[in-house]
Amino acid sequence: MKEKATPLLDEHLQSLNHMQEGGTDDFFYTRLKARMEKEKAPVGFNFPLKPVWIVATLMLLLLVNGLMLTQQFKTKKSTDTASSSLQNFAASYDQNISSSY
Amino acid sequence: MGEKELIQELKQGNEPAFRWLVETYRNRVFHTVLNILQDTKEAEDAAQETFIQVFESVGSFKEASSLSTWIYRIAVRKALDKIRRRKTREKLHKLLPWWIPDEKKSSSDFFYHPGIEAENKEKAAVLFKAIESLPEKQKLAFTLIKVQGMNYQEACELMQQNIKAVESLITRAKTNLQNQLEDYYNELNK
Repeated sequence: MKEKATPLLDEHLQSLNHMQEGGTDDFFYTRLKARMEKEKAPVGFNFPLKPVWIVATLMLLLLVNGLMLTQQFKTKKSTDTASSSLQNFAASYDQNISSSY
Repeated sequence: MGEKELIQELKQGNEPAFRWLVETYRNRVFHTVLNILQDTKEAEDAAQETFIQVFESVGSFKEASSLSTWIYRIAVRKALDKIRRRKTREKLHKLLPWWIPDEKKSSSDFFYHPGIEAENKEKAAVLFKAIESLPEKQKLAFTLIKVQGMNYQEACELMQQNIKAVESLITRAKTNLQNQLEDYYNELNK
Protein backbone atom coordinates (compact mmCIF):
# COMPACT_ATOMS: atom_id res chain seq x y z
CA MET A 1 0.00 0.00 0.00
CA LYS A 2 1.44 3.34 -1.02
CA GLU A 3 1.63 5.74 1.91
CA LYS A 4 0.19 9.22 1.51
CA ALA A 5 2.71 12.02 2.01
CA THR A 6 2.37 13.66 5.41
CA PRO A 7 4.62 16.75 5.32
CA LEU A 8 2.87 18.62 8.14
CA LEU A 9 3.00 15.61 10.43
CA ASP A 10 6.67 14.98 9.62
CA GLU A 11 7.44 18.59 10.48
CA HIS A 12 5.69 18.21 13.84
CA LEU A 13 7.33 14.88 14.54
CA GLN A 14 10.71 16.60 14.32
CA SER A 15 9.75 18.59 17.41
CA LEU A 16 9.98 15.32 19.37
CA ASN A 17 13.63 14.82 18.43
CA HIS A 18 15.94 14.89 21.45
CA MET A 19 12.97 14.38 23.77
CA GLN A 20 14.18 13.60 27.29
CA GLU A 21 12.63 10.78 29.24
CA GLY A 22 10.02 12.41 31.49
CA GLY A 23 10.96 10.70 34.75
CA THR A 24 9.68 10.64 38.30
CA ASP A 25 11.51 12.12 41.28
CA ASP A 26 13.68 10.19 43.76
CA PHE A 27 10.82 9.76 46.24
CA PHE A 28 8.76 7.62 43.89
CA TYR A 29 9.60 4.41 45.79
CA THR A 30 8.69 6.02 49.15
CA ARG A 31 5.30 7.10 47.79
CA LEU A 32 4.76 3.69 46.24
CA LYS A 33 5.54 1.87 49.51
CA ALA A 34 3.23 4.21 51.45
CA ARG A 35 0.42 3.46 49.00
CA MET A 36 1.04 -0.27 49.21
CA GLU A 37 0.96 -0.16 53.02
CA LYS A 38 -2.25 1.89 52.93
CA GLU A 39 -3.92 -0.53 50.53
CA LYS A 40 -2.76 -3.50 52.62
CA ALA A 41 -4.26 -2.11 55.84
CA PRO A 42 -7.63 -3.74 56.61
CA VAL A 43 -10.51 -1.34 56.22
CA GLY A 44 -13.88 -1.54 57.89
CA PHE A 45 -17.09 -1.33 55.90
CA ASN A 46 -17.34 1.94 54.08
CA PHE A 47 -20.62 3.00 52.62
CA PRO A 48 -19.96 3.34 48.90
CA LEU A 49 -20.10 7.06 48.26
CA LYS A 50 -18.90 6.96 44.69
CA PRO A 51 -21.33 8.83 42.39
CA VAL A 52 -21.82 5.73 40.28
CA TRP A 53 -23.13 3.78 43.31
CA ILE A 54 -25.37 6.62 44.42
CA VAL A 55 -26.84 7.01 40.94
CA ALA A 56 -27.35 3.24 40.70
CA THR A 57 -29.11 3.17 44.10
CA LEU A 58 -31.37 6.06 43.09
CA MET A 59 -32.22 4.34 39.82
CA LEU A 60 -33.07 1.15 41.69
CA LEU A 61 -35.31 3.04 44.12
CA LEU A 62 -37.08 4.75 41.23
CA LEU A 63 -37.58 1.40 39.51
CA VAL A 64 -39.02 -0.17 42.67
CA ASN A 65 -41.30 2.85 43.13
CA GLY A 66 -42.47 2.60 39.54
CA LEU A 67 -43.19 -1.10 39.89
CA MET A 68 -45.11 -0.55 43.14
CA LEU A 69 -47.23 2.20 41.55
CA THR A 70 -48.00 0.04 38.52
CA GLN A 71 -48.92 -2.86 40.80
CA GLN A 72 -51.16 -0.64 42.92
CA PHE A 73 -52.87 0.77 39.82
CA LYS A 74 -53.55 -2.77 38.53
CA THR A 75 -54.97 -3.91 41.91
CA LYS A 76 -57.26 -0.86 42.09
CA LYS A 77 -58.50 -1.47 38.57
CA SER A 78 -59.33 -5.13 39.30
CA THR A 79 -61.12 -4.17 42.58
CA ASP A 80 -63.19 -1.62 40.65
CA THR A 81 -64.08 -4.24 38.05
CA ALA A 82 -65.03 -6.74 40.75
CA SER A 83 -67.28 -4.29 42.65
CA SER A 84 -69.03 -3.11 39.47
CA SER A 85 -69.80 -6.70 38.45
CA LEU A 86 -71.27 -7.34 41.93
CA GLN A 87 -73.51 -4.26 41.53
CA ASN A 88 -74.61 -5.48 38.09
CA PHE A 89 -75.50 -8.84 39.59
CA ALA A 90 -77.49 -7.25 42.40
CA ALA A 91 -79.29 -4.95 39.97
CA SER A 92 -80.24 -7.76 37.62
CA TYR A 93 -81.94 -9.66 40.48
CA ASP A 94 -83.36 -6.49 41.96
CA GLN A 95 -81.42 -7.04 45.15
CA ASN A 96 -80.41 -3.44 45.76
CA ILE A 97 -81.22 -2.25 49.26
CA SER A 98 -82.97 0.88 47.95
CA SER A 99 -85.34 -1.23 45.77
CA SER A 100 -86.79 -3.20 48.72
CA TYR A 101 -88.59 -0.15 49.99
CA MET B 1 21.73 -9.72 39.22
CA GLY B 2 20.46 -11.83 36.31
CA GLU B 3 16.81 -11.68 35.23
CA LYS B 4 16.02 -15.23 36.33
CA GLU B 5 17.58 -14.59 39.73
CA LEU B 6 15.67 -11.31 40.05
CA ILE B 7 12.37 -13.02 39.22
CA GLN B 8 13.06 -15.69 41.82
CA GLU B 9 13.81 -13.04 44.45
CA LEU B 10 10.64 -11.16 43.52
CA LYS B 11 8.56 -14.32 43.73
CA GLN B 12 9.87 -14.82 47.26
CA GLY B 13 8.76 -11.28 48.16
CA ASN B 14 12.30 -9.96 48.63
CA GLU B 15 11.96 -6.21 49.27
CA PRO B 16 15.46 -5.08 48.16
CA ALA B 17 14.87 -6.90 44.85
CA PHE B 18 11.54 -5.12 44.42
CA ARG B 19 13.16 -1.78 45.23
CA TRP B 20 15.88 -2.46 42.68
CA LEU B 21 13.23 -3.29 40.07
CA VAL B 22 11.28 -0.10 40.80
CA GLU B 23 14.39 2.09 40.70
CA THR B 24 15.47 0.49 37.42
CA TYR B 25 12.18 0.71 35.57
CA ARG B 26 10.33 3.66 37.15
CA ASN B 27 11.50 6.32 34.68
CA ARG B 28 10.76 4.29 31.56
CA VAL B 29 7.39 3.13 32.92
CA PHE B 30 6.49 6.72 33.84
CA HIS B 31 7.64 7.99 30.43
CA THR B 32 5.54 5.36 28.64
CA VAL B 33 2.35 6.07 30.56
CA LEU B 34 2.93 9.83 30.40
CA ASN B 35 3.10 9.71 26.60
CA ILE B 36 -0.15 7.75 26.49
CA LEU B 37 -2.06 9.67 29.16
CA GLN B 38 -0.64 13.17 28.51
CA ASP B 39 -1.19 14.03 32.16
CA THR B 40 1.57 14.05 34.81
CA LYS B 41 -0.66 13.28 37.80
CA GLU B 42 -2.44 10.39 36.11
CA ALA B 43 0.89 9.08 34.83
CA GLU B 44 2.32 8.97 38.37
CA ASP B 45 -0.79 7.13 39.51
CA ALA B 46 -0.61 4.64 36.63
CA ALA B 47 3.11 4.05 37.24
CA GLN B 48 2.42 3.28 40.92
CA GLU B 49 -0.45 0.94 39.99
CA THR B 50 1.88 -0.83 37.53
CA PHE B 51 4.44 -1.65 40.22
CA ILE B 52 1.75 -2.69 42.69
CA GLN B 53 0.40 -5.10 40.06
CA VAL B 54 3.94 -6.35 39.35
CA PHE B 55 4.47 -7.01 43.07
CA GLU B 56 1.13 -8.78 43.45
CA SER B 57 1.22 -10.94 40.33
CA VAL B 58 4.90 -11.76 39.87
CA GLY B 59 4.10 -15.16 41.40
CA SER B 60 2.01 -16.01 38.35
CA PHE B 61 4.52 -14.59 35.83
CA LYS B 62 5.22 -17.49 33.45
CA GLU B 63 8.31 -15.93 31.83
CA ALA B 64 6.83 -16.31 28.33
CA SER B 65 8.18 -12.83 27.59
CA SER B 66 11.03 -10.84 29.12
CA LEU B 67 10.43 -9.20 32.49
CA SER B 68 10.65 -5.71 30.95
CA THR B 69 8.05 -6.52 28.26
CA TRP B 70 5.76 -7.90 30.95
CA ILE B 71 6.15 -4.74 33.05
CA TYR B 72 5.56 -2.40 30.10
CA ARG B 73 2.52 -4.44 29.06
CA ILE B 74 1.04 -3.94 32.53
CA ALA B 75 1.90 -0.22 32.32
CA VAL B 76 0.19 0.16 28.93
CA ARG B 77 -2.88 -1.68 30.23
CA LYS B 78 -3.05 0.60 33.28
CA ALA B 79 -2.78 3.69 31.06
CA LEU B 80 -5.52 2.43 28.73
CA ASP B 81 -7.74 1.66 31.76
CA LYS B 82 -7.31 5.25 32.88
CA ILE B 83 -8.24 6.57 29.45
CA ARG B 84 -11.37 4.37 29.43
CA ARG B 85 -12.33 5.57 32.92
CA ARG B 86 -11.75 9.17 31.81
CA LYS B 87 -14.12 8.62 28.86
CA THR B 88 -16.75 7.04 31.13
CA ARG B 89 -16.53 10.02 33.50
CA GLU B 90 -16.95 12.38 30.56
CA LYS B 91 -20.06 10.49 29.42
CA LEU B 92 -21.45 10.50 32.97
CA HIS B 93 -20.74 14.22 33.21
CA LYS B 94 -22.81 14.79 30.07
CA LEU B 95 -25.67 12.81 31.64
CA LEU B 96 -25.43 14.27 35.15
CA PRO B 97 -23.47 17.53 34.93
CA TRP B 98 -24.56 18.64 38.42
CA TRP B 99 -23.28 15.42 39.98
CA ILE B 100 -20.10 14.44 38.17
CA PRO B 101 -17.40 17.13 38.12
CA ASP B 102 -16.04 18.04 34.68
CA GLU B 103 -12.52 16.67 34.39
CA LYS B 104 -12.30 16.96 30.63
CA LYS B 105 -9.62 19.32 29.44
CA SER B 106 -11.04 22.25 27.54
CA SER B 107 -10.27 22.47 23.83
CA SER B 108 -7.67 25.15 24.49
CA ASP B 109 -5.76 22.92 26.95
CA PHE B 110 -2.51 21.59 25.57
CA PHE B 111 -0.15 19.06 27.05
CA TYR B 112 3.37 20.45 27.34
CA HIS B 113 5.65 17.45 27.66
CA PRO B 114 8.29 18.06 30.36
CA GLY B 115 11.01 16.32 28.34
CA ILE B 116 10.74 18.44 25.20
CA GLU B 117 13.07 21.33 24.42
CA ALA B 118 11.58 24.79 24.97
CA GLU B 119 11.68 25.85 21.30
CA ASN B 120 9.76 22.72 20.26
CA LYS B 121 7.15 22.74 23.02
CA GLU B 122 4.40 24.51 21.03
CA LYS B 123 4.65 22.28 17.98
CA ALA B 124 4.82 19.15 20.14
CA ALA B 125 1.75 20.29 22.09
CA VAL B 126 -0.25 20.66 18.84
CA LEU B 127 0.88 17.19 17.81
CA PHE B 128 -0.05 15.67 21.20
CA LYS B 129 -3.50 17.25 20.93
CA ALA B 130 -4.01 15.62 17.54
CA ILE B 131 -2.74 12.26 18.83
CA GLU B 132 -5.21 12.39 21.73
CA SER B 133 -8.16 12.35 19.37
CA LEU B 134 -7.05 9.21 17.49
CA PRO B 135 -8.89 5.92 18.01
CA GLU B 136 -7.38 3.90 20.91
CA LYS B 137 -5.30 1.36 18.96
CA GLN B 138 -3.96 3.91 16.48
CA LYS B 139 -3.07 6.20 19.35
CA LEU B 140 -1.23 3.45 21.19
CA ALA B 141 0.71 2.22 18.16
CA PHE B 142 1.68 5.75 17.10
CA THR B 143 2.69 6.77 20.64
CA LEU B 144 4.83 3.70 21.23
CA ILE B 145 6.59 3.78 17.87
CA LYS B 146 6.73 7.40 16.75
CA VAL B 147 6.70 9.26 20.07
CA GLN B 148 8.40 6.81 22.40
CA GLY B 149 10.76 5.54 19.69
CA MET B 150 10.16 1.82 20.25
CA ASN B 151 10.91 -0.55 17.41
CA TYR B 152 8.05 -2.38 15.69
CA GLN B 153 8.99 -5.71 17.27
CA GLU B 154 8.78 -4.33 20.82
CA ALA B 155 5.51 -2.53 20.08
CA CYS B 156 4.01 -5.70 18.58
CA GLU B 157 4.91 -7.65 21.73
CA LEU B 158 3.41 -4.98 23.96
CA MET B 159 0.24 -4.65 21.94
CA GLN B 160 0.04 -8.41 21.29
CA GLN B 161 -0.59 -7.74 17.61
CA ASN B 162 1.23 -8.93 14.51
CA ILE B 163 3.53 -6.62 12.59
CA LYS B 164 1.14 -6.16 9.65
CA ALA B 165 -1.64 -5.01 11.98
CA VAL B 166 0.67 -2.51 13.70
CA GLU B 167 1.97 -1.19 10.37
CA SER B 168 -1.59 -0.68 9.21
CA LEU B 169 -2.45 1.16 12.44
CA ILE B 170 0.54 3.46 11.94
CA THR B 171 -0.41 4.22 8.33
CA ARG B 172 -3.98 5.08 9.31
CA ALA B 173 -2.79 7.13 12.29
CA LYS B 174 -0.43 9.14 10.07
CA THR B 175 -3.18 9.94 7.56
CA ASN B 176 -5.58 10.95 10.32
CA LEU B 177 -2.96 13.11 12.03
CA GLN B 178 -2.00 14.86 8.78
CA ASN B 179 -5.69 15.68 8.17
CA GLN B 180 -6.19 16.90 11.72
CA LEU B 181 -3.12 19.12 11.63
CA GLU B 182 -4.26 20.60 8.30
CA ASP B 183 -7.70 21.29 9.77
CA TYR B 184 -6.14 22.84 12.89
CA TYR B 185 -3.99 25.29 10.92
CA ASN B 186 -6.79 26.09 8.47
CA GLU B 187 -9.03 26.92 11.44
CA LEU B 188 -6.28 29.02 12.99
CA ASN B 189 -5.71 31.02 9.78
CA LYS B 190 -9.40 31.85 9.29
